[in-house]
Amino acid sequence: MRSSAVGWLFLAPTLIILFIFGVVPFLYVLVIGFTQWNTFAADPTMQFNGVENFRRLVFDTPFLHSLWLTLRFAFFVVASEIMLGYLLAQLFMRDFPGKGFFRTIHTLPLVIAPIAVGATWRLLTVPGLGPLPYYFRTWFGYDLNIGRYVDQAFMMTVVMDVWHWTPLVTLTLLAALSSLPKEPFEQAQIDGANRFQIFWYVTLPMLKPAILATVFIRMMDALRTVDEVWMLTGGGPGSATRYIGLYIWRVVFPKTDYGYGSAMSLITLYLTIVMCWLLYAALVARRDLKRVEA
Amino acid sequence: MDEIARKPERRGFLPIHTNGFDRGFIAVVLFVAIHLFWMRFLEQNVPLFVATILSVIIGAIIVARG
Repeated sequence: MRSSAVGWLFLAPTLIILFIFGVVPFLYVLVIGFTQWNTFAADPTMQFNGVENFRRLVFDTPFLHSLWLTLRFAFFVVASEIMLGYLLAQLFMRDFPGKGFFRTIHTLPLVIAPIAVGATWRLLTVPGLGPLPYYFRTWFGYDLNIGRYVDQAFMMTVVMDVWHWTPLVTLTLLAALSSLPKEPFEQAQIDGANRFQIFWYVTLPMLKPAILATVFIRMMDALRTVDEVWMLTGGGPGSATRYIGLYIWRVVFPKTDYGYGSAMSLITLYLTIVMCWLLYAALVARRDLKRVEA
Repeated sequence: MDEIARKPERRGFLPIHTNGFDRGFIAVVLFVAIHLFWMRFLEQNVPLFVATILSVIIGAIIVARG
């Protein structure tokens, strides 16, 4: 009993900080989500309006379009990063000349601020100034202009995000690969398994927790991307890359519609949690079910 | 030696193992989803409080039997 009390005493500062900086702002946003509040309107007071913001939200075509774009972006980004990150992790597991150098170079994008990443890619892709449109035109005869073509703008945001965050996936999977025991691989080789079978039946099941954790982290990040995309495309051309974070920003800051912005933020949080939970249920909980049935 | 008394394994209708928190979470998720769906597609014909009643009933079933 006494040790339990001491434990709570040591935990108390963390819990208090978490409550103040985590729970209280969330509750505040939750309350604002059910109000009409625009501090620059004729009536700047906060007025409770029930579920009106959410009713408006489900009919808001630009919001639903942003949501769809964001989900598409998250899917492409996470799938690309996991596959590329795994391949690079496997590569860095082997010995080759200059391995340490390449690993350092590969990790560098991680330490660059997202806003600087956006600015860099903007400079790389500006027609008439950046090298990428020049080389695409010279070498392939391809007109790269992310300010004009919708698909190019979308793909460029994906490429930028993959460039920025794949090293995180690589490092996570590299750590996981390094910690795997050697015996199952040797056993599989003795049993005559080919490389694909070893990957599918030995490596992948053992890596699943690390992959799942990485997917969660990257999915949550991808769903709330703002600054990089804001610097690269500004949400354009038109609304082609106006992901949900950018849309919320436009509603909350230039339009100062705090109630509606909060409602959209809550729905985004809701979708993020639901997607992560579904993924968890599909991959982890199903495995537990099988174990019980076996 | 005393054996640790184990509760018999719970067999709910959900296809995964859950504790009370999980079932409460699923109930809340469904509560929100049903209301959003209702506002988008059904509210012009059926008032929203029907969705609330339906969600509470479904939530209670999931928490109790899920």
